[in-house]
Amino acid sequence: MPGNVGSASAGWGLLVCLVFCTRLASVRAAPICSSAHAGCHVLSLANLFDRVIQHSARMHGISNDLHSEFEQYFLPSKNQIGRVSRNCHTSTILTPNGKENAQRMARDELMQVILKLLVAWRDPLWHFHQSMSHQHDFNNFSSNKALEMSDMVHELRTGVEKVAEKMQMLGIMSNSVSGLTSPEILLPSDSSEWRLMKDYDLLYCFRRDSNKVQNYLKILKCRIVPDHGC
Amino acid sequence: MAEVLEGCWTTGTWTVYQGPQEAWAEPPSPLISREPQSAGEQRTCERCVMAVSLSSSNLLLLLVSSLDWLSAPGSAFLMDHASAPAPLEPHFTECTSRNRETFRCRWSPGRFHNLSAPGALRVFYMRKQLPFISPTSEWKECPQYIYENKECFFGVNHTTSWLTYCVQLRGQNNVTYYNEDDCFTVEGIVRPDPPVSLNWTLLKMSPSGLSYDVKVTWNHPPSADVKVGWMHLEYELQYQERNATSWEALDIQTDTQQTIYGLQAGTEYEVHIRCRMFAYTKFGEFSDSIFIQMPGGAVLPITLIVVFGIVGILILILLIVVSQQHRVMMILLPPIPAPKIKGIDSELLKKGKLDELNFIMSGEGMGGLPTYAPDFYRDEPWVEFIEVDAEYPEGGEKEEGQSSDTQRLLGLPQPSVHMNRTCSSPAGFADGDSGPASSYDPDVPNQDTLMLVAALLPGQPEDGEAPAGAAERSPPPERGEAPAVHVQATGPQTWVNTDFYAQVSNVMPSGGVVLSPGQQLRIQEASSATQREAQKKGAEREDAEEAEGKEHQELQFQLLVVDAEGGGYTSESSARQMGAPPGAHAAGEGPGAARPHPHGGPAATAGEHPSPYILPDSPPPPAFAPVADYTVIQEVDSKHSVLVDPPPHQPPPCLPQHPAKTLPALPVGYVTPDLLGNLAP
Repeated sequence: MPGNVGSASAGWGLLVCLVFCTRLASVRAAPICSSAHAGCHVLSLANLFDRVIQHSARMHGISNDLHSEFEQYFLPSKNQIGRVSRNCHTSTILTPNGKENAQRMARDELMQVILKLLVAWRDPLWHFHQSMSHQHDFNNFSSNKALEMSDMVHELRTGVEKVAEKMQMLGIMSNSVSGLTSPEILLPSDSSEWRLMKDYDLLYCFRRDSNKVQNYLKILKCRIVPDHGC
Repeated sequence: MAEVLEGCWTTGTWTVYQGPQEAWAEPPSPLISREPQSAGEQRTCERCVMAVSLSSSNLLLLLVSSLDWLSAPGSAFLMDHASAPAPLEPHFTECTSRNRETFRCRWSPGRFHNLSAPGALRVFYMRKQLPFISPTSEWKECPQYIYENKECFFGVNHTTSWLTYCVQLRGQNNVTYYNEDDCFTVEGIVRPDPPVSLNWTLLKMSPSGLSYDVKVTWNHPPSADVKVGWMHLEYELQYQERNATSWEALDIQTDTQQTIYGLQAGTEYEVHIRCRMFAYTKFGEFSDSIFIQMPGGAVLPITLIVVFGIVGILILILLIVVSQQHRVMMILLPPIPAPKIKGIDSELLKKGKLDELNFIMSGEGMGGLPTYAPDFYRDEPWVEFIEVDAEYPEGGEKEEGQSSDTQRLLGLPQPSVHMNRTCSSPAGFADGDSGPASSYDPDVPNQDTLMLVAALLPGQPEDGEAPAGAAERSPPPERGEAPAVHVQATGPQTWVNTDFYAQVSNVMPSGGVVLSPGQQLRIQEASSATQREAQKKGAEREDAEEAEGKEHQELQFQLLVVDAEGGGYTSESSARQMGAPPGAHAAGEGPGAARPHPHGGPAATAGEHPSPYILPDSPPPPAFAPVADYTVIQEVDSKHSVLVDPPPHQPPPCLPQHPAKTLPALPVGYVTPDLLGNLAP
């Protein structure tokens, strides 16, 4: 009899544990405050977009500074635009190349494009920063900027994901955009292409891509958040 | 024979020049021009300047390829080549976009004027669609020609951002004038239209009214699609005075308003603005200028007023400082406080004020020094008590004053000296100068006895002042000698004269003693007369001072009850005998120094200072006086309390140990119970 009692109690305890643990797990997954009265500060979608856009603008500014600095010190007075050999590793990502194209694109796709771009640049920028910090040609100013750029990409990606979540919560966007946590899926091709790029090419490519991200975010915001003139 | 030397290939075309290096000029016609032949010719080095020296021949082939100085035909409009010579062959002058949605490229035929005709030159462009790294990308012809302006217009459909465009000109028979530098992206060539609606408002006037802050606002150019977010603009505001030559530029920022600070009142300013794409380099055109007129203008009077006001205030401050220099110095640099002796005004320490100092020092002054000071020197044999002499007015110290006063008062020899010589012989003679008086401190006993006397004897009214007068101290110790004589005669421990006893009629709250009226004078007279006889020597010189001091003293004497072993009562007659005329008092001992010294000389001292020892009027006062009026104090212990029945002991021996605190042994006296209460000091 004691054995039966013991086993029964153990079973009960296990059951209770399971119930509570699952509850805890489900509670833990809430990323954004769902209700305003819960004490957490709920940001509106417009506010989130503004923050993200500011962030992307700043990122673009830094990338431009680095690019022109690179150009000034290493490749002066030569217009490198016509270089044929330039190839960006993100060229495989299909991006709208104009205002109308971006406006016509579906929100989900546009958001997906943005996230793809941001994900694709995380590793290359980090390695770029590493290589720059080892080179003594660059001054500390540039090295700090490279680090800042690398951080900003990561933060911007986090912010855009938050915006996507919010949009999904509001029903503006479908849930297909979620699940972007595995960047390897986005770049099935050899993601080590960027290792072949030279520093200057990398900077040129990133400058272009950061401009894309900034413009796409702005267009997206104008389409989603009702504002005069959009 | 011309030589062709190898140089650096860029991705462009070789240009050959003739002539020596110094005189390179634009060749009339390119002699050699060829495309890169192989992949290896692409950019083998970044910088390369080579000069080819001419042979004897006037034909020189100089192949120059310099990254800094590229004079290829169709010099890239993207570069800022101010020094580049005008290219010879047809080239593009500029490709520009206003709104990033369309752009146009303008060309010039160069020196080939025959190609000016429309249609002679054709524009081809290529969009480099990466990752297509095909060197033979297809060239497309210009979508829209505008021959009047010699430009090729690319519409919305043909404009894509983030792609590299390359343009080239082609002649009739497939002659291509191409420059690799003519590649660009649409964002890179955007020059936005100038902002519109430039307006200004007056923000704020400075407190002095001399300058103003102005806020300038504007709107983005309507052609730029800022709302959608397609174009991100930043603005540069510039201003200058109306007829100035150079513009002041403010910081570039992306807001559509900006504040100009510090514009002068009364002047007119010109303001204009331009903008460019955020994070790019090419500015658009300047907007039309607006003119701002600052109000005010009567600036000069205010400035003058302010300046004059400040100068006036400064002069005023200077005058104040100069005139009140002393006070200012006192305020700014307060004097360091001088060392201060408690109870004594430091002014007394100056020359000529010795009398007051001595008076105070002796403690007879009501605010006299506390008795702790003498204690300091109680156990120090090296301390010298300097006696104050009439001939040596300076250097009076309290110890010496008191000792001499005591001497004189009691008719005893110098206590210190006395003690030194014979601790047991009370009779001694006073030396002129004090010996080591460490063992014997007349000050304290003086204080003690004073207090005792004051407490015990109702005395005559006095002026409430300490009996001791500074003047009395000045008499030299010589006075003591006279009493010494007497003292020796009387023997130790004998207060020979009962003159020491006087009747105190009242005690003042301040500690002074009021003696019975009338007796003082008589006693003084008697004692002074006696004293005179006794002390002829050395008394004359002190007479004058003494006299003055005496009179001063007599009224202020505190009573001193002195022990007299052998019956401390002096008959009136004897007292009178001993008493000296008031004015002739030879002994200049301080009245307050009535010290119950066991040594002899009481008669002398009494005679010298009759006032402290007031003989009772009634004859044989000792008969009952001791019982009714006064009592004999035997000792004063360390706490200044009176011991009426001390154990009999030799007075002198113990004095060295604690002379200050203990009175010499007094004869057994009489204390009435009701007087006991008065014994406490």
